[in-house]
This record gives sequence, structure tokens and C-alpha cells, in this order.
Amino acid sequence: MALAELVQYVATGLLVGGVYALMSIGLALIFGVMRVVNFAQGDFMMLGMYLTYFYAMSGIDPLLGAILTIPPFFVLGWLVHRGLLARVTGGGDPQRQMDAQLILTLGLSLVITNATTMILTPTPRGIRTAYATQAFALGPVLLNQARSYAFAMALVLAAAVYVFLTRTDAGRALRAAADDPEAASYQGIDVRAMHGLAFGVGIALVAAAGGLLATYYPIEPSVAGNFIVLMFVAVVLGGLGSIPGAFVGGLVIGLVQSLTLLVLPFQLQNTGVFIVFLLVLYLRPQGLFGRRARTV
Amino acid sequence: MASRTRGWVAIAAVVAAGVVLTLVVQERYHHRVLTLVFLWAAMGLAWNIISGYAGQISFGHQVFFGIGAYVTVLLVVKTGLTPWIGMGLAVAVAVLAAVLIGLPTFRLGGIYFGLATLAYPLIFRIVMDWLGYQEVAIPMIRERPGWFMQFTEPRSFDLLALGVLAATLVLSRLIETSRLGYRLRAVKENEQAAEAMGVDAFRAKMAAYVLSAVPAAVVGAVYIHAILFIVTPDAVFGLLVISQTLVVALVGGIGTLWGPLIGAAVMVPVSEVLDSTVGDRLPGIQGVVYGAALMLIMIYAPEGLYWRVHQLIRSRAARGAAASRPAIVAAGGDAAVASAPTGGVLLEVRDVCKAFIGLQALSDVGFDVREREILGVIGPNGAGKTTLFNVLNGFLVPDRGEVHLRGERVTGLRPSALCRRGLGRTFQVVRTFPRLSVLENVMVGAFVHARAVGRARAVAVTALAQVGLEDRADDVPGGLTTLELRLMELARCLATAPRLVLLDEPLAGLSSDGVDVMIAMIRRVRGSGVTVVIIEHTMQALLRLADRLIVLDQGRRLAEGAPGEVTRNPAVIEAYLGKRWLARMGRPAC
Amino acid sequence: MLSISGLGVTYGGLRALTGVSLEVREGEFVTLVGPNGAGKTTLLKAISGTVTAAEGRVAYRGRDLGRMRASERAALGIAHVPEGRRVFATLSVMENLELGSYRRAARAHRAQALETVLELFPLLRARRAQLAGSLSGGEQQMLALGRGLMAQPDLLLLDEPSQGLGPRIVEQIFETIDRIRRERRLTILLVEQRVVEALELCDRGYVLETGRVVLDGGREALLADTRVQRAYLGG
Repeated sequence: MALAELVQYVATGLLVGGVYALMSIGLALIFGVMRVVNFAQGDFMMLGMYLTYFYAMSGIDPLLGAILTIPPFFVLGWLVHRGLLARVTGGGDPQRQMDAQLILTLGLSLVITNATTMILTPTPRGIRTAYATQAFALGPVLLNQARSYAFAMALVLAAAVYVFLTRTDAGRALRAAADDPEAASYQGIDVRAMHGLAFGVGIALVAAAGGLLATYYPIEPSVAGNFIVLMFVAVVLGGLGSIPGAFVGGLVIGLVQSLTLLVLPFQLQNTGVFIVFLLVLYLRPQGLFGRRARTV
Repeated sequence: MASRTRGWVAIAAVVAAGVVLTLVVQERYHHRVLTLVFLWAAMGLAWNIISGYAGQISFGHQVFFGIGAYVTVLLVVKTGLTPWIGMGLAVAVAVLAAVLIGLPTFRLGGIYFGLATLAYPLIFRIVMDWLGYQEVAIPMIRERPGWFMQFTEPRSFDLLALGVLAATLVLSRLIETSRLGYRLRAVKENEQAAEAMGVDAFRAKMAAYVLSAVPAAVVGAVYIHAILFIVTPDAVFGLLVISQTLVVALVGGIGTLWGPLIGAAVMVPVSEVLDSTVGDRLPGIQGVVYGAALMLIMIYAPEGLYWRVHQLIRSRAARGAAASRPAIVAAGGDAAVASAPTGGVLLEVRDVCKAFIGLQALSDVGFDVREREILGVIGPNGAGKTTLFNVLNGFLVPDRGEVHLRGERVTGLRPSALCRRGLGRTFQVVRTFPRLSVLENVMVGAFVHARAVGRARAVAVTALAQVGLEDRADDVPGGLTTLELRLMELARCLATAPRLVLLDEPLAGLSSDGVDVMIAMIRRVRGSGVTVVIIEHTMQALLRLADRLIVLDQGRRLAEGAPGEVTRNPAVIEAYLGKRWLARMGRPAC
Repeated sequence: MLSISGLGVTYGGLRALTGVSLEVREGEFVTLVGPNGAGKTTLLKAISGTVTAAEGRVAYRGRDLGRMRASERAALGIAHVPEGRRVFATLSVMENLELGSYRRAARAHRAQALETVLELFPLLRARRAQLAGSLSGGEQQMLALGRGLMAQPDLLLLDEPSQGLGPRIVEQIFETIDRIRRERRLTILLVEQRVVEALELCDRGYVLETGRVVLDGGREALLADTRVQRAYLGG
């Protein structure tokens, strides 16, 4: 196996990993602030793909369309939190609450995937752009243009999230609420509103990631299930609740998936990902950047 | 006793009703629905054993369902073995899988357990794909179809499914009424308290997991033969299987026999009817209904319909019950006060050190505890008292140092092991098992030495009588006053037949009457031969109670001796109030 | 400014406070001492809103705080520096301080407040980019104090600032509290286990034991009262 071939796989893996990273940041933010494992994350991504598709049908380039999914999905996320998540308390026991919210989001996921199948039919759709079939040549390595643009956009959005979290009051308040909700309330931070904000941002991010994905991936309801596992693994690998961790985790998962294709056929491409998942859970459950769990 | 047999009678009634339905129902399609109801109820019950009774929510139970299906069918296809025997082999494989999965996974805490269970079915799907078993069809066998579970008469499938359900009901009931059942519920309600009461939580969870795999595998095997006929990885390891299981168990009621029965009886017909009427125009309607059901249940009745109704009935009854209860009066006099502690050293603590990040919680702490004494442990905030108890009790392992109980080295043993050796503990904030009755709470402690449920009950009743709570035996802890709760915790601890008890702030939050009652009770406990070590801040009370005091400050042993001496010791005064107070006051008189 | 009457609180299933009444007038420095488990922290939590009272009333500037949430009370100008410091470990020192002035009224004067606080705690200026979790106990306490001051509060609640700290740092902390008191017009309610240092700073004091107020009086009176010792060590 030539070095060039290996480099090609690595490059593709990184490009794809960038979009996974963006998806995973949303999930990590939600878990970090709210301690909720959002099983429906993949479904919101799928809806983001469809919205981008409809934008494309009206003539808007999907890369722009992905950005345009952010405002409506932020609002949607905030409403979903208000209407559903905020009502599930698990009776005060944090473990029960986490279990209950996982079940709630599992139910939500079932509804979204199946309703989409009912209304929009399972027929896969695709967005055709000029750059989807062209590639940049970087020496011996070919970089698909659509994936490259998506990767670049993903980085831009991730950087925007970074700036938001570190340079704005609201972003800092989010991190404080994630770190120590009680101390945060002493500073005047309304922790429940922070939850709504985190969920809104998390959903908006994953919808945008879906839009970027739609530039080279077919759009159909079952996409939700394909990617939720990748997101979970990326977040756990990075460390539950760590946003830089989720970013790195996403890149790593993209790499693992791509490199697995060197030895296994396409339908088994997630094997490597699952092996990584189990290894992390058994050997280092707090992941790469995670702190040891706060005693509850 | 009446309620015990009532449970079995109810099961028999349900099975009988099932038989009647089987005979009465006519149309082939309705038989299919009936079979499905029975099978999903059984699956829900299987899930309930690990997730309801033991409280470990598993999102991957379809692994065993799938193993049951695949192993049975593959045996038919490859070796021609009858599924009646093949099922048994499938169960064996499922049990093995449960052990292999459970061993590493139960060591993961909290949310990681749930996440890990999500991964296993996905792995199995990949393995099956890789092995080339994307589609395995059951071959039609014309001679002796019954031998291969290929009935022509739909009623036969109904009865088969009903048989599986009946067996699972029996299994569930047996667990519920056994020692394992009590222990599982204790672990679910409060794992730490259960450990302190002698329950080895890991073993209990493993036992439940293995037991839950058996019916799941059987259901999988029957499901394939009765309904699906072709095994694909997605059909048996997929999301819809676990969703259906969750819906049936959660909607009906988690942690009870009747839950999955109700859930299956309600949800399966609804979804099947929808599927057959509008399923063509609206593919996926089943998923929408299940998803909506899960969400609604989590928001409005997270424990399930059964418990909601149960709660409504109970609260109506409680409102009617008399509000007045006989107040617990301090036992007549302290006439039974034992004389000064006799005997040798029961517990030896030597050079114990324990550090956390940035904090040396205990440094070279050493002391003896003598038989039948009441030893008080005091010290200012942050002195390390609770850390000391956690080390003595087994919740923490010391970095250095040794603890010997009756001459036996017990350093580093887990709490349940220490409890079995006679070291009991109560907690600063009372840790009850909220959904067990007072009597059942105490029974968990009794199970340390009693094997049978009847014997445990007898021990528990005695313990409750000792603390004066016999009237409250059937109430739930939620309705008890602080004093009653502390007494219940004491009774639970006494039921473990301890030689030494660690009491962590037993007087906190009590009125002065309550303090009197508690003090009298502790004296009685000592009088019955049990040694007491007690952490307390309520100094006035402790001075009346303790024979000796040990003072900890900043993780070190500062002083030791009779209460009067210790509280006048300048070093102790300085530790509590500061050097400058001591300087101001001079050596205090009195 | 702060008026508490007949307060009763149940916390963690236990009766933490019974019939507690106390008062803090505008500009006063009031100290509350008492042994471990007396309910001091619970009292502060009832004022700042993380714990709800079962009976009684907490009134701030004449207004019954009732069921107001903690974040709403903070917006009114009540700053609570919690027990055990509770700095945001994953945020930097600077970010912790900036968060201190989260409440709307304080945001406008953030830059100014920051300068004052950094001048008060030069050590924080030196460490401003460091993660708060990597500071020592004493440094974290200073950060917590600084964060509380950033809110430009009218009422400052201090919960056992000396807890878990060595004697020299404790002296420094108390000196700083004294200095804060002298340089600004703040009303302060200090809760402490260390009797003398805490009483020496105050105008008036209360002694709490097993959830009740057992003693109160002016500074000198309490400092000379041997009954205070009884609250801690019986007898």
C-alpha cells in the first residue's frame, strides 16, 4: 500500500471529520450544560439536511443554506427545551433524570424520523452542485471540492462557537452554568434559561452540520440513525461535556472511519468506531479532555 | 401472607384469561395481534428484571432477543436441529453473552452504562453482516411441522407465546419475592445504603442481568417462528425492538409485574390496528405512536400507568386515615444503662492516611475502640470525621494505615463485606429505600444473615419492635418524621446483627424530645452488647451519652479522653474557637 | 436592609433552622458564629435563594423575597460568596471576575470594578489567565471574594471564608475583608466558625446553635461572653 494511498485516506478522513466535529460540538454543549444525552441530535441534523435541500430547490447554494438553517433551528431547539425537556425532572434524582431524558429524546427521535418518512417519503434526495463532483489536487492527493468546502465551513462555524463561548457574556455564562450551576445562580445567571440557550445552540449547530453534509451525502430519513452513533462516540472520546474534546473527537472518528476502509468493506466502516467506543468506555471513560465526574 | 398468595392467584387468572382469549378469538389476524401482545409483554417483563427491579436502564436488551432468533434459526438451517432444543442452546449463548457483557459494563457508573448498552446491538449487527447472515430464512418443513415450530393453526402460536409469558411471569414473581428481589430493589433505590447493609451490588446486578437474558432469548426464538420467518440483523438487533420493549414496559409501569402486561395490552393492539388501517398511506405510523407514547409517559407519568393509578389510590386512602399517631415516648428511665465498657479492643485503627486532590483529609489517625463503649468523634468543620467513617466503613480505601476488626485485617474491604463481618453504619442524611415499606427497608438489613424471606421478616419485625416502630411497619419512609426515620435506619442497621455501629450525626435535625428518645435508644443498643462510635456536633447531647471522646482537627487526632477533660483541654478549645479566644478567656474555670 | 423573622427551613430532610430572626441594617457589619451543623450556611442560602423557607419571612429593603429565584435575588444586589469558594474551575481567573459582574446593573461599570478588584488583590492580576481550578485554596478564596465584589453589591454574604485555609492566609483574608469594609459602603453579613477574628470585625453578632439563635449582642459584649464557648463545646 503506497504512502500516497494512505495519505489520501487520512485526508478524506480529516475532511469528513471536520463535519463530524461540528455535529459533535452541539451534542457536547447540550450535555455539558444540561447533563442531557440528546438521542434526537441525529434527527435534527437530518431535518437540517432537508431544510437545506429545500433552500437549494429555491436556488440557494447549500453552503449558504447551511448557515441559514441556524436561526430557525435555534428557535426550534429553544422551544423543544421549553416544551419537553424542561418538564422531565426525574423526581430530583440526577441519575433518574438523565435516564428519563435519554428516553424522552429517544421518543422524540422516533417521532421525527418516522414522521419525516411519512410526510416526505423515504426516497433519498440529493443536492446537485457543480463542485460535488470535482476535486482539488494537492500533490498526489485528491480532495473532493464539496467535502473541502464543507470542512472549511465547519471550521469557520466551530471558530464562531469558540468566540461566542469565550468572548461574550452569554457564552461565559453558559460555561459557568455547566461548571457549577449553584454558584452560577449566585452571580445572577438564570440556569434554566441557560439550558434553553444551550439546547437551541446545540440544535442549530447540528442542523448547520447537516446542511454541510448535504453537499455530498444523500438526504433521507434514515440518515439520523447513521450519524447519532458517530456523534456519541466522538463526544465520549473527547470527554463528555468538553467542547474542544468533542471537536477533536469528531476529527478522530472521521479518521478512524476512513482508515477502517483500508481493511474492511464499506458496510463495515463503523467497526473501527465501535471498537474505539468500547476501548474508551473501559480504559478511560472520561475521554481525552474530560474531568472526572463531579460528585453528585 | 394473604398478599403473597394473591400475587400467584392473579398470575393464574391472567394466564387463564389468556387461554380464554385464545379460544374465543376467531380471525387469523386477531390471533397474530394476540400472539404479539403475549410476546411483547414477556419481553417487557424480561427487560423489567434488570431495568425495573435493579434500576439499571438498558438500551441494548435486544442483543438477547437477536441471539435467541439467530441461534435457533441457524441451528435449524445448518444442522436441522429442532428449535425446541435449539432454543435451549440459544438461551445458553444468551447467558454467556450476558456474563461477558455484564462483567465490564456494570463497573461503569451512571450514564456510561446506558451508553455502553447502546453499542452492543450495533456490534452484533456488524458481526452478523460480516458473517454473511444478512438474511436467514426459516426453511418450510412439511413433515412434522410441529416439531419445527411451524404450526398451521394460529392458536398454537398463541398458546406457545402464552406459555412463554406465563413462564416469565412466574420467573418475575419468584425474583420479586426472594432475597434477590429485595436486594435488587435496595440497590436501585440507593446503592450506597444497600452496600452498607451488606448487599454486594455488583453480584446482584449480574444475577439480574443473566436472569433477564433468558426470557428475552426465548421471546426472540418464538418471535421468528411465529411472526417474522426471516432473520435480518436490523429486524432483531435494531432500534424498533428496544423501542417496543421500552414502550411496553414504561407505559405500563416499571418495576412491577403488571406494568408490561398493561403496556402490551394497550400499546400493541393500538399500533397493530394503526399499521393495518393507515400503514400503507402513512408508513412509520407505528414509530410515531411509540415515540409519542414514550415522550408523554416521561412527561406525565414517568413511572408508568400502573404506578400513577397506584399513587392516586394511595393518596386518597392516606387522606382518610387518622392524622394522630401515638408519639414515641422515651423508654422508661435509663435503668438498663450498662456499666462501664468491659472487654478488650474491638476495632483497631492504625496510622490511617487519606488524601484527596489538594487536601490531606486524614494524617496518621490511630485509636482503639473497646467493646461495648460509646465513643464520640468530634472536631471542627473539615476535621475529617466523615472521611474517617467512610474509611472505616469501606467506602474509601486509605492510602496508608490499617484497620483491624476483632483481630482480622479489614482494610480495603468493600462495605458489604464489612457489614457481613459485623460493622454497621447509619448516615448523616438518612438514606432510605423510598419505595420499600419500613418493614421491607429493615428486611434488607436482615438478609445479611437470613437466607429465607420468612426468617428475614421475623428478624425485621423484632428490630422494629426494639426501636418502637412496630406500628409503622407497612408505611413508606416518605411519611415518617425525622425521628422515626432515624429510628428506622437504626433498626435496619440492627437487623444486620452488628458488633459495632458507626452512627453519623444521629441527632442532627431532631427536637429536644427527639434527642432524648434517640439517646435512650442508643443506650439500649449498647446495653444489648453492641459497641457504638458516634459523630456528633450537638455537643450538649453527646456529653451525656459518650464514655470517651476523640477529637480530630485538620485530619489529625488532637486529643482523647473523658468528655469533661476533653472539652476543657486548651488545645481543643483552640481548635474550635481559635487561639485568640483562648488568650482572651484565659484558662476557663469550670 | 435585611430583615428575617421566624425563619424555619428543612434541608436534606432535616430541620435545619427553627424560628430564626435577625436583622442587618444598612451599612452594618454583622457576624454570625456557631459550631458545625448549626445551620449557618443554610441561613445564607435561604437569603440568597437556593433554599426555600418552610416558614417565616426574608425581607430585603422592605420587600418580601418570597419565592424569588436565586438569580433574581442576585440581580437585586445581593452577592453570595459561597462556602468552599465554588469558583468556576474550568474558566480563567479573568473570566470568573467578568462573570461576577453578570447582573445588568453591574455590567456598565465592569471595567472600573475590575480595576478596583485587581488593585485589592494584586495576586489575581498576576494570575489572570490561569484556570481557576489550578489556584491554591487561599487564592481561590480571594478570587471568590473578588468575584463577589465585581457584582457591586449592596449586601455581601460571606460564608466561612476561612474554611480549609491555613492560619496565615486566614489572617490575610480577614484583613482584606476589614479593608473592604472600610473602603466601601457595603452591608456585610459574615458567617464564620472562627469566633474571635469574625467578631472583631463586626458591629453586632449572633450565635447560632442547632438551628436556633441562642445569643446576640454588640461586639464587645459577645467577645466577653463565655456562653459563646458553650455553644461550641457544651458544659
